[in-house]
Amino acid sequence: MESLKVLWLSTGLANFELGQVIMMLVGCGLLYLAIARNFEPLLLVPMGFGAILTNIPVAGFSEVGGLLHFIYYAGIDTGIFPLLIFMGVGAMTDFGALIANPKTLLLGAAAQFGIFATLFGAIALNLVGLDFSMKDASAIAIIGGADGPTAIFLASKLAPELLGAIAVAAYSYMALVPIIQPPIMRALTTVEERKIEMAQLRHVTKVEKIIFPLGVLMMTIFFLPAATPLVGMFCLGNLMRECGVVDRLSSTAQNELINIVTIFLGLGVGSKLSADQFLNAKTLGILALGAVAFSIGTATGVLMAKLMNKLSKEKVNPLIGAAGVSAVPMAARVANKVGLEANPHNFLLMHAMGPNVAGVLGSAVAAGILLALVG
Amino acid sequence: MENLQALFVEAGTLMFAGMVFVFAFLGLLIVFINVVLVNLAKKYPDAIVEARSSSKKNNKKQDGNGVSPAVVAAISSAVTQYRQNQSVKK
Repeated sequence: MESLKVLWLSTGLANFELGQVIMMLVGCGLLYLAIARNFEPLLLVPMGFGAILTNIPVAGFSEVGGLLHFIYYAGIDTGIFPLLIFMGVGAMTDFGALIANPKTLLLGAAAQFGIFATLFGAIALNLVGLDFSMKDASAIAIIGGADGPTAIFLASKLAPELLGAIAVAAYSYMALVPIIQPPIMRALTTVEERKIEMAQLRHVTKVEKIIFPLGVLMMTIFFLPAATPLVGMFCLGNLMRECGVVDRLSSTAQNELINIVTIFLGLGVGSKLSADQFLNAKTLGILALGAVAFSIGTATGVLMAKLMNKLSKEKVNPLIGAAGVSAVPMAARVANKVGLEANPHNFLLMHAMGPNVAGVLGSAVAAGILLALVG
Repeated sequence: MENLQALFVEAGTLMFAGMVFVFAFLGLLIVFINVVLVNLAKKYPDAIVEARSSSKKNNKKQDGNGVSPAVVAAISSAVTQYRQNQSVKK
């Protein structure tokens, strides 16, 4: 009889707590979004599954000695996984459109206003009873950078206890870019502006593409060394892509390596989706602030592009400003789609890739600033 | 409440400093592209572009040897026609 009791006590049914069940359902919700709705499936599948694993009673996945514990501390706490992902993203990024039309960097800069404005929002939530420190607020604000690895990197450094909620918010809103952005883009532009066709981009030479990542790295070393982990790995990936002599390494960085690391990154982030860390008012605040950050970033990008269109000789379609939030390449596709609705002959994709990749650089720079000033 | 006020002031400072820095950094990058990269592009154009221009030169040289583009076009169309006939027979 005693052994039966011990056996019963070792079952999941006897040990389940309500919070764990709810978090498992959250994990299932993430799996549903990934599999049925195709929302950022590459990350949400391992993340959702990680959320289920970490909430299994008795198994101790996230306790000291557990698999997810080791994955988290080896890869996310140290910052290694997001940086390796960033190297892969660098290897997948073509800066050609940006180099051909460098003023689109200003659109990438303007869209970062979403990050800094959200800082205010996070602090303002303290008025309604939440307790966000400046570090928490900075980690939440980076959701506006629409860049998963950057958000995870910064959150792991500034507010590891909020990492799960921040990662879920960042990836959820990145998946929701096609729903969040178009209404804002249409509200801030006229039909005539959306119809604007832009001049064809010039040819960018191989030498330019090779020197560009080195130049970006040099500038980061001189002016913002705090951002060099992110920018450095990004530039390494990009240089491997462009130099043309290490195709095997470039191919590994943008395929096998990024895929392997994505699995572990997802599981590691999922391990932070435990009931005590996720089921609280702060998570709701983070989800709300994430949407605000995305919306403000989109709006300031579009407004900057409108200003640029007024001031510059060459015409600029304001829609490409929305791509400045990064979320590569989804935001650029959205700009292209909204442009095509107004003018079926207007293909903005390549023009929008400029601010899109500028947004990646902009959010890495913004993360470096937050690390330098708050970290 | 005072603490909150201090946090707001800090957030405001951070916002101002952050946006100024982001614009300055990316602005400097624009200068870098316009000054360094554009000049580099002029000095070291792509090898493919060079190959194209050199092949054009070669064509001109061939033209100088007496084979006119009209003759080349005629031979090409004749060859295509011949191959098509062969494939029909098969």
